[in-house]
Amino acid sequence: MSIPADQRQRAFESEALVHLDALYGLALRLSGGDEPRAEDLVQEAVLKAYRAWDRFEAGTNCRAWLMTILRNTFINQFRQQKTRPTPVEFEQVAERPSSDALYEADPEGQIFDRIIDDQVIAAIDELPDEFRVAVVLSDLEGLSYQEVAELMGIPVGTVKSRLFRARKRLQERLYDYAVEMGYIK
Amino acid sequence: MSECGTHSPDGSRSGEPELTCEESLARVYEYLDGELDTDEQEAVRRHLQKCRKCYPHFDFERLFLDYVHELGAGEESRPGLHDRVREMLAAEPG
Repeated sequence: MSIPADQRQRAFESEALVHLDALYGLALRLSGGDEPRAEDLVQEAVLKAYRAWDRFEAGTNCRAWLMTILRNTFINQFRQQKTRPTPVEFEQVAERPSSDALYEADPEGQIFDRIIDDQVIAAIDELPDEFRVAVVLSDLEGLSYQEVAELMGIPVGTVKSRLFRARKRLQERLYDYAVEMGYIK
Repeated sequence: MSECGTHSPDGSRSGEPELTCEESLARVYEYLDGELDTDEQEAVRRHLQKCRKCYPHFDFERLFLDYVHELGAGEESRPGLHDRVREMLAAEPG
């Protein structure tokens, strides 16, 4: 016997839609701060979840279930579209002498207590797509290298090198910010 | 604890090869991400116990990764999003 539509919608609203802002937060990071794109992503993921609601097991983690649907929705789009070419200078970041500048200037990492989160979020958003997605999935969402590799359709070795370059790039941005703010002389 | 610099590998008392600083630092993220196999994880750990040059560098990278992880994706609000989503669902056939 199927559940009446209004009852189904009420259940979905009370259990799933309470996570809408969390879904939008993840969508925003995956799409590099592109708000309309993030909203489209959320709407598509929510619609998929709603249509699959009968298959959601009550009592299990609804937020995690929704996040997985959103991640998969994003990745399907991401793998279909051609990403913009990665700037050459970004590919070479590992060889740049400034890669460890932040550590050398602030080995105890005091900057992490002083920096404003928005600055770091902006730095993540500005990473080239394939690097940003690896960082969001691994560092923000806590997925393993293997899980990131499978989602992105790339070898584990590529995940490692992208994470290395992306993290060094973020540290460079933090270094620039710390100098600008006078935290580091 | 001593500073290892970039000494070449030499045999430890247990007969296991020692990692150089360069080799340890090349594995810093895999170590902190828990992505090394047991033997490699142990080899890096042994190096860090001895090397006062590498230990602070690893500690710094750990602070950095913890910071980014705690930052997380977080919740974000977008004006009108909740209403638009409810309208979308209301238009769905039951």
